[in-house]
Amino acid sequence: MSTRTRTRIISILGLLTGLTLWEVAGRLELSPAFPPVTAVFAAIVEVWASPRFLDALKESLISIGIALPPSIMLGIVVGLLIGRYRPMEWALDPLVNTFLSLPLVALIPVLFLIFGLGRGSILATIVIYTFFIVVVNTAAGVKTTDPQIVEMATSFGASEGQVLSRVMLPSALPLMFAGVRIATGRAIRAVIIAEQVIGLIGLGGLVQRLGGAFAVEQLYAVVIFVGLFGLLSMEAVSFVERKALPWAIFPEDTEPALQGA
Amino acid sequence: MIEIKGIGRRFNTRDGGSFEALKDVSFSVKDKEFFSIIGPSGCGKTTLLKMVAGLIRPTAGTIEIDGREVAGPGNDRAMVFQHFVLLPWADILTNIGFGLELRGMSRKESREAARPFLERVGLTRFADHYPHELSGGMQQRVGLARALAVAPDILLMDEPFGALDAQTRQLMQEDLMRLWEEEQKTVIFVTHSMDEAAYLSDRVLVMDTHPGAVREILDVPLARPRGEGVRVTPVFTELTSHMWHELRGMMGDPTAPAPD
Repeated sequence: MSTRTRTRIISILGLLTGLTLWEVAGRLELSPAFPPVTAVFAAIVEVWASPRFLDALKESLISIGIALPPSIMLGIVVGLLIGRYRPMEWALDPLVNTFLSLPLVALIPVLFLIFGLGRGSILATIVIYTFFIVVVNTAAGVKTTDPQIVEMATSFGASEGQVLSRVMLPSALPLMFAGVRIATGRAIRAVIIAEQVIGLIGLGGLVQRLGGAFAVEQLYAVVIFVGLFGLLSMEAVSFVERKALPWAIFPEDTEPALQGA
Repeated sequence: MIEIKGIGRRFNTRDGGSFEALKDVSFSVKDKEFFSIIGPSGCGKTTLLKMVAGLIRPTAGTIEIDGREVAGPGNDRAMVFQHFVLLPWADILTNIGFGLELRGMSRKESREAARPFLERVGLTRFADHYPHELSGGMQQRVGLARALAVAPDILLMDEPFGALDAQTRQLMQEDLMRLWEEEQKTVIFVTHSMDEAAYLSDRVLVMDTHPGAVREILDVPLARPRGEGVRVTPVFTELTSHMWHELRGMMGDPTAPAPD
């Protein structure tokens, strides 16, 4: 048996054990927080097909669709500038790092004060959750650019714009993708949290209402969906990354595939 | 003709002082000449080459090419680097066309224009491979093809075979010699190999160190085309042993006679 299959089997056994324990705990009615897992599966079948759920999902996806792409694009531009120009780094680094270490949840009420109880605040929440992480990763990617490649391009007459677009940008791509992947996961968390505050729209609103009604099985059905959706979205980014960066999947120290002078 | 007139270069050091890397360097390189610069590590030979490339500004003196002062990189020159410096994210054909792309061609045009140079360096089969899939020798062929593709009058080579093993190095020297005989370009070739300098060059500049300066310029009186056989001729061995004598004096070897 290969290590890979053995790892798989052990993972599945672990998962099954967990689910069994959950089922037992549910059957024993230890706590209302633990409905039997079979009841949750039944709720999944029911909830995932319900118009209420699908409408909420559509609302959340629209918010992510509006806020995430511009946040990523702006993050890349600012990251490139910070990575390339020291004064930009001096000016913006403290701000970026502050936002990265802040508990952003605490800022959400402030956003609602500014943007009101509507989609504007949800969009703003997604932006503050995603923008800065793209900035730092892009900037780090730019800074790891081999200075010898910059010098080579300059020797062939590259302009500053060409150094940015033909050298720095492609060189920063692997870290940029890492930033985009993390941002995608955070965008999903952000939309749920912001919608929970409003409590009326989107998956976050649905979670809030189900929680308020103590509909625990249905609540779990939505939460499990959000978890899986986040996982799959990040996998999708990884998939695009592997397709787009065929050179980056080989570690530096691998033997050349072809020998000879 | 390349004229180096009284070049000097000072670098500022961390403690606020300065250090003189090159002092009063003057020489000229004729058109279509193969001119090597040899000297111990840290003698400023690479700095000198980068000045001709327009990457570093001299702090004293001027460099003129056909009477015009070098103010930066130009279309008349192309550089080949010791560590190849290929784009890891681009395939071989795109790498060879990169110089052309920077000079305004589209990716598609530059790849098309790069194809004959890919063939010239014998890598036709590897057009869509990535640099990490190639051996060092093959990567440096790409570096050479990239430089040739922009059709420069002057090739500036910075220890181009320094990172290769001895056998590959010898093969690359022969290939470069053959290419240079076909192309008839001016070459300035920085090396720390005496053998390499003698085999390839018309003239060899031996550099002094601390600060870097011209020690002497040697003629290489070997007829062309040169085959492998020249390496064992008396003229060749006399030339390399003369260089060794000069260089070893600078390397602080106590058994060497002190240079006068």
